[in-house]
Amino acid sequence: MADLKKQIIEQLNLQEVTPESISNDEPLFKEGLGLDSIDALELIVLLQQHYNIRIANPEQGPEIFYSIRSMAEFIVAQQTAKA
Amino acid sequence: MMLTIYINGTGCISPQETAAGGPLLANLREYEQVKLATVDPDYKQWIDVKQIRRMSRVVKMGVGAANLSLQAAGITQPDAIVTGTAYGCLDDTGVFLTKMVNQQEEMLTPTAFIQSTHNTVGGQIALLLGCNGYNNTFVHRGFSFENALLDTVMMLREGSAQNILVGGLDELTPHSYQILSRFGLYKKEPVKTMELLKSPTRGTIAGEGAAFFTLGTQPEQHTVAELTGISTLYKPMWEGEVIGHIMKFLEDNNCTPNDIDLLVTGRNGDIDQDDIYEEVVEALFPEHPEASFKHLCGEYPTAAGFGMWLANSILADQAVPDVAMFYGKAPRSIKKILLYNHHQGTHHSLILLSHVE
Repeated sequence: MADLKKQIIEQLNLQEVTPESISNDEPLFKEGLGLDSIDALELIVLLQQHYNIRIANPEQGPEIFYSIRSMAEFIVAQQTAKA
Repeated sequence: MMLTIYINGTGCISPQETAAGGPLLANLREYEQVKLATVDPDYKQWIDVKQIRRMSRVVKMGVGAANLSLQAAGITQPDAIVTGTAYGCLDDTGVFLTKMVNQQEEMLTPTAFIQSTHNTVGGQIALLLGCNGYNNTFVHRGFSFENALLDTVMMLREGSAQNILVGGLDELTPHSYQILSRFGLYKKEPVKTMELLKSPTRGTIAGEGAAFFTLGTQPEQHTVAELTGISTLYKPMWEGEVIGHIMKFLEDNNCTPNDIDLLVTGRNGDIDQDDIYEEVVEALFPEHPEASFKHLCGEYPTAAGFGMWLANSILADQAVPDVAMFYGKAPRSIKKILLYNHHQGTHHSLILLSHVE
């Protein structure tokens, strides 16, 4: 999850945010980091670039990108399914 | 009777410490290089950290200069926002195009694309201010700033706005410097700031910056200048056409060369480009004191904005900083300043400022 936090900070060019300051369970959007719809697109690209994962069903988006933990669990599940 | 247009506030971010306030150009930034970058203030004083992360340098410098101008004018909400930029948000354009090439047009992120348009700066200023008024951006190469100014003047004169924020800005990026260098625009060797205008070689130094002005039909208590006139001349055939255009411009504004107390020129140290200034000075202003500014900010298509900011500051101080003086000595009382600038020999512009007592 620490790597994922670093990738998010870099991809979204988050200012004055460190991996340690991001909680695993707080919401990424609106509250917490306060991300918006443009960031959602950036996170979709991040999953493709770093993990070769494409989100097949866009309706899953809010669930996958709810928090760092939900993103990490989705990545692990996808990688396990591919293996 | 023509409505008077007052310059009620100015803001400038440039390769000099123009955003810091204090005495005019007192701390000269001396360079010995062929490309100058802006001295950036702390943009977080105007922009929230959550918003600043998506802004490229040119957006930040535009928002910063716009805020400085509005603060100086004591205005929180202009009726309209007009910007002029030749290159727009070049950095983000470069980021987006590079990704398109490197990633074979796949997995492209939206941020650089949506921030790469020319009107991003005008839009961002409006979003931050919550300004729903007229918002327009002029992209006319070396006339971008001048045409933004002209649009502003026309709107104020027709009475559709009382206060308008207008500015000119351009950024220099590694990509643009590389491309423009191929056209032979810049010097091959670094030149010292205070030696540029006497340089005997071709080419100039590259620059960048943002200059914003809050113009209004009513003066504020601190207002020192009015924008008396503006005019442009595209691709004159020969120097006589420029000289004739200046004479006509002065006549249209009810004055003669004798009424001009200070000439401010856009000399840039390129022996080919500066010829026309020599011709104009010899024909119309042989004994006039002359100030210059491109050794301070570098050459870029909207550099006349820096020139206008300097002229307004000179009227405020009633003195010309030594570092800006090119010829002669400024008179004790400076009432009229004529700014004559050209970009690439094709885009010639005249801006006339008058002191407000």
